[in-house]
Amino acid sequence: MTGRLARRLALVVVCLACAGIVVAYQVTRPAEERRIGQPFVPSPQFFLDFSPSFRTTIADAYWLQTIQYYGEHVRTDQRYDRLKAMIDLVTTLSPKFERAYLFGAYALLDAGLAQEAYDLLGRGFEENPDAWKLATNAGILMYSYGAEDVKREVAAKWFEKAAAVEGAPLYVSRIAARLLGEGGEVDKALALWAEVYATGDKYSRAKALAGMDAILPKDPATRRAALERVRDLMAPRTFSELVRKLGAG
Amino acid sequence: MRQTGAIALNTFKETIRDRVLAVIVLFALLMIVASLWLGSISLGEEGRVMKDFGLVAVTFFGLVVAAFIAAGLIHKEVEKRTVFVLFSKPVSRAAFIAGKFLGLAVTLAVVVAGMGLFLFVVVWVIDGAPTWMVLAAVALIYVQLLVVVAVTIFFSTLGSAILASVLGICVFIAGQLSTNVLELTRLGQNALTEALSWVVFVLIPNLTAVDVKPAVVGEQTADWGAIGLWCGYLVAYVVVVLALATAVFRRREF
Repeated sequence: MTGRLARRLALVVVCLACAGIVVAYQVTRPAEERRIGQPFVPSPQFFLDFSPSFRTTIADAYWLQTIQYYGEHVRTDQRYDRLKAMIDLVTTLSPKFERAYLFGAYALLDAGLAQEAYDLLGRGFEENPDAWKLATNAGILMYSYGAEDVKREVAAKWFEKAAAVEGAPLYVSRIAARLLGEGGEVDKALALWAEVYATGDKYSRAKALAGMDAILPKDPATRRAALERVRDLMAPRTFSELVRKLGAG
Repeated sequence: MRQTGAIALNTFKETIRDRVLAVIVLFALLMIVASLWLGSISLGEEGRVMKDFGLVAVTFFGLVVAAFIAAGLIHKEVEKRTVFVLFSKPVSRAAFIAGKFLGLAVTLAVVVAGMGLFLFVVVWVIDGAPTWMVLAAVALIYVQLLVVVAVTIFFSTLGSAILASVLGICVFIAGQLSTNVLELTRLGQNALTEALSWVVFVLIPNLTAVDVKPAVVGEQTADWGAIGLWCGYLVAYVVVVLALATAVFRRREF
């Protein structure tokens, strides 16, 4: 009887100890420094050959991983060694994935790969001729990073291509006109950043806000007056939000 | 025909009551719900991620049901010795195999339709509009799974249940790669290898031909005429495999 009780007690002690180890491990785990690994990115051809039916699912899985990878590195070391390979993989497996081109282009800019970002948008528009946002963003990148002597004309052509797409907002053609017309560089840059803000994801909107903040006057009243020039380039609600976020309200 | 119907009905009742089936379906629904979380970190692509991962969940769990339950259908009858009682009556081997297949086909239809409708409703809620292609994709996944059921039944007449399940899953995977085998036949520099590749290509069911998952997320346009013909091909493939299974099963003594 005593032996049986002792065995039971020992069993309970072992179980409690194991439970204690599990809980202690789980509780302390988040405190451990998280290592940023290098994701494995095979050639897109590998997936196209070996899993054609699941290519979009694999593209989605890598899309989620790309967002995580970018998010982790943008907060820490700003190193994006595998970013281009990941974006190429996603857009090759899923060439109609419009958002991947847009996000990828701005993420590549952070990696210092402006030409690759521009090429990506160009490739995206070739694959998706009805995606006007790809064309407008290609225009923005050309205007911001292109050669001084051609950038306005090439950027305006991108906006004209975007405006020709059925369903593109009217302000796209206004931006094209503004790029080719008279006016200061600040005005043109402001118009382009406004376009990024009006149509981009949370990362590109943050970039647009930073870009506008840098070129706008610091005084709230003058800032508001400058911002009025982009009022007709976006929806009224978006404009109010922009004014508020730039402290020009 | 009546014999086949009775066996099919009995198989359906038997498989639909299986607790394992309920657990698998529950897992599938949880997987689909988990895709909601994945969607939330997709930077505005919730609908797309939901459709893609949801359809993979339907395929994967459907495959588990098809391969593992089909493998046990004949073995259970033999182990429980009910097959001896059955064949003491005027029941043909063909009716037995066909009945087993049809019974599981109905069970699979219920399971896949349940998962598919759940996914369809979730996608509808996320996108704000119905995506009918999800239902079409689920129906075509079902056609692929019928091939797996037939092939697994065939292998179960030859060997153990576990082996039959594994081989059934292998045929499903090979069916996703049949176009690669075709490429191999074209690349062949040796006549024997080329001939062998052709044989493998003909034997493996072309499951990718009826797969519309990329079309569901707008990556390609589905050619319904061609898909209809390929469905006919897969139905014919099932008939041939079941005929082979019957031929093998006839040789067994009970």
